[in-house]
Order: sequence, then C-alpha cells, then structure tokens
Amino acid sequence: MSESNKETGVLGQLFQTFFAKHWPVWVGGIVLGTLNILLFAIKSPWGASGGINNWGENVYQLIGIFGLENAQPLSASFYGMLCLFLVIGSFIGALLSKEFALRIPPKGELIKGFIGGSLMALGATFGIGCTIGAFFSGMPAMSGGAIIFTIGLFIGVIVALKYLMWEMEKFPKFSSGKSYNFLAGTGKSGIWQKWAGWIVLIISFFIAYQYSDGNKIMSWFIIIGMLMGLISQRSRFCIVKAFRDPFMTGEAGGSVGVMAGLVVGLFGFTIIKYFGIGVGDIALRAREMTWVFPHFFFRAAIGGFIFGLGMTIAGGCAVGTLWRVGEGQVKLWASALGFLIISPISKLYIVPPIIKSLPQSWDFKSYLPDYLGYAGAFALVAFIILIWYVFVKWNEKTGKFSAY
Amino acid sequence: MDAKIDTTLDCKGLSCPMPMMKLAKTMKGMNSEEVLEMIGTDPGTKSDLPRWCDKTGNTLLDESELAGGVFRFLIKKK
Repeated sequence: MSESNKETGVLGQLFQTFFAKHWPVWVGGIVLGTLNILLFAIKSPWGASGGINNWGENVYQLIGIFGLENAQPLSASFYGMLCLFLVIGSFIGALLSKEFALRIPPKGELIKGFIGGSLMALGATFGIGCTIGAFFSGMPAMSGGAIIFTIGLFIGVIVALKYLMWEMEKFPKFSSGKSYNFLAGTGKSGIWQKWAGWIVLIISFFIAYQYSDGNKIMSWFIIIGMLMGLISQRSRFCIVKAFRDPFMTGEAGGSVGVMAGLVVGLFGFTIIKYFGIGVGDIALRAREMTWVFPHFFFRAAIGGFIFGLGMTIAGGCAVGTLWRVGEGQVKLWASALGFLIISPISKLYIVPPIIKSLPQSWDFKSYLPDYLGYAGAFALVAFIILIWYVFVKWNEKTGKFSAY
Repeated sequence: MDAKIDTTLDCKGLSCPMPMMKLAKTMKGMNSEEVLEMIGTDPGTKSDLPRWCDKTGNTLLDESELAGGVFRFLIKKK
C-alpha cells in the first residue's frame, strides 16, 4: 500500500469514528456541557427559546403585524443565529452520515408536532426559559427557579406520556396513515449527501468568518451553534428523552447523557461565577446572576409543566426539535413552526395580563449561593443529579416505574 | 436474513417516541419465540432498538437498510 493510501485510510477511519455510528449520548452530553461553558465564558450560556422567539418576531415583522417593526434582525441576534446554526449543524451531521431525508409523517403526527411546539412556546414564555435555558443551563447556573422548572417538566412529561399511551391505545389510527420519505441517502446513490455536507460545512465557517472583523462573539456563536447541532444529531441528545424514557421503556441512557452535560456545566459555571470570569464592564453581581431568571417559584413551576407537556407531545424538546428539523423530520418542522408562531403572541398578549394579576413577590430571582454559599449550592445541585442518576439506574434494572 | 415473521409493524414516517412505543406495545402482545418485523424511517431507532433489546432480553436477529431510507429490524421475543 502506498503512503498516500495509508493517509486516506487514516482520515477515512477518523471520518467513520464521527459519522458511521451514533455516539453514546453521554459523549454528546459532555461535549455539549463543555461548549455551554465556552458560550458562558465569551458571553452568556446556551438558550434556545429566546432564539426561536427571535425567528417568530422576524416573521411577524415581515408580515407587518403585532407592531414588531423594531424586532432585532436575525443576523444580529446571538441566540437567533445560535439556533439557526444548530439546525444547520444538525443538517451537516445528517448529510455526512447519510441520515438526512425529508420524512413526512401521517397527518395526526403533524398536528401533534404543531400543538406540542405551541405548548412549548407558552411554557417558555410563562416560565422564562426552556429545557436549555431554564434546565440544562439553569441548573449549573445554580438557580433555585431551575430546580422548580425541572420539577414542573417532570410532571408535564409524565402527564403527556400518559396521554400518548392512551391515544395509542384508543386512537391508534391518529398516528398511522400515509407517510412519505424523500431524498434519503441510502446506498451509493446517496453519496451526494456527503458532498453536500462538506459544502454546507465550508459555507458555515465562511459565514462565521464574515463576522470576525466586527462581531467576534457572533463568529463563535455561529461556530458553537453549528457544533452543538452536529453533536446533538450524532449523539441523539434530547432532553425529553432523558425525562420520558425512564417512565416509558425504562431506558436510562438518555438521562445519563443529560446528567453528564449538567455535571460538566456545573463545574464550569461555578468557576466562571465564583471568579467573575468574563465580567468585563458589568458588575460582578450581574455575572453571578446570569441565567437566574425571575421565575421563582410559580412561573417556573407552571412554565415547566406546560413545556413538559409540549415537548412530550411534539417528541422533541427545544434542542431536540431544532436538530430534528435539520435532519429532515417534518413533524418537528411543525413543532418549530408552532413554537415560533405562538412565542411572540404569548410574550406580547398572553403572559403579561396573567403576570399582572400575580403578586410581585412571585417574580423572584432565587440564587442558591445566596442562601447556601457556593460550596452548599454546588453540593445541592450535584446531589439532585446524583439522586436522579440512582433513580434512573435502579428503575432501569427493576422497571418499577416504566410502562413497558 | 430469512426468518419466519409472525407480525409486521410499520413505523414509516414516525419519529421518536412513537416507533419505540409501538414496538414495546406490540411485543407485549406476542408470544415467546415469535418474530416481529419492524420497518421505520427514524434514524434514532437504530440506536434505541438494540439498547432496548439488550435491556429486555429480546433478540435482535437482524437489522438492515432498505431502499429509500427505510430501516428493517427482526426481533425475536424472549
């Protein structure tokens, strides 16, 4: 074998490592947790609902309704672009692994996608955050509201799972019927997907580079968003899976993957907050309070519950929806559409009157280190994750709480 | 792979969690040693299904990719 062939073999093997098989979810969790720390180090942590809301505002601005003429343009919104490139990153991952296809589900599934996305929008706007901002970033940010949001999510997931099982039992035809699959990359004819993947990857880096002169943070938001999408697609990282599967099939892998990301994030966020890394011109206190939202406890509980319902019905949390959009799952296109249409309406017209009727003290920012110190707050969040780990592993073995 | 197929489950077009929910429910109603053929288009099933078989003790006899991005699995009930 010639030297050049050996070289190709080595690169080919590297490619296979990333794109031949799905990665373990815990690998995805650790890398996503690390990227989340990088986002926080350069600006602020990972969030998804704000970005999707920005998409919705831009759509309404284009149509010229709801007085959103001053909506921030997508190209200038850090989180709008992060979400967009998360979709593109997943698209790249799906193309390079020849897993992209336009998968159009039966009608009933499309309806569930749209309703689930709409509920997620309501939950995110009422609860100030989604499974990313108020959970995957909120827990490591040591926010008391994030713990309440998480409890709400759990209850919402269990209720919606009961609904799905009831629907499957009583109305099996709702999720059956005609479905279509286009542009699949099966066999040798699917090689175009790999080429398309490389082209989209290069274009994405080029766009990130275009921002590097005047807006370095945006350059990195684009690159990190793209990596997050690619990693989520390859590892099937999905927070609804982490909450739902122990109660469905008893599977704990998805939960452990999310926990891995939470633990990595907890270390990084604690260090950033404790030392005030990246504090810049803002006050240290503002840096400490990053991703500690004024939703303790009522808004977090109700928002988490509604979001939990929505993500289970849609079959994808905020990030799970975005990366499945990039993979060509049209049910999740309906979910993203519901999310972006309802989010600005909810933020402008549904949530404000409800908030006005609530006592002001319910808009409370609960920062755990204020009560427990940094060591105590770190230990509490780590302990909650440990309890969750013990529960899902015990349940995986015994099947006590799993439906099947 | 050739095997006597007792039941076929069509999950084409469905995404997570529906294929695994339908699979688990269908398998519950089958007898020991019977074989289920499942076809679907969700790439997630490629990782979820073998893990579920490992956990439940059912045997994944075969998995293959058919034309048009369709995956086929043969599972023997424990």
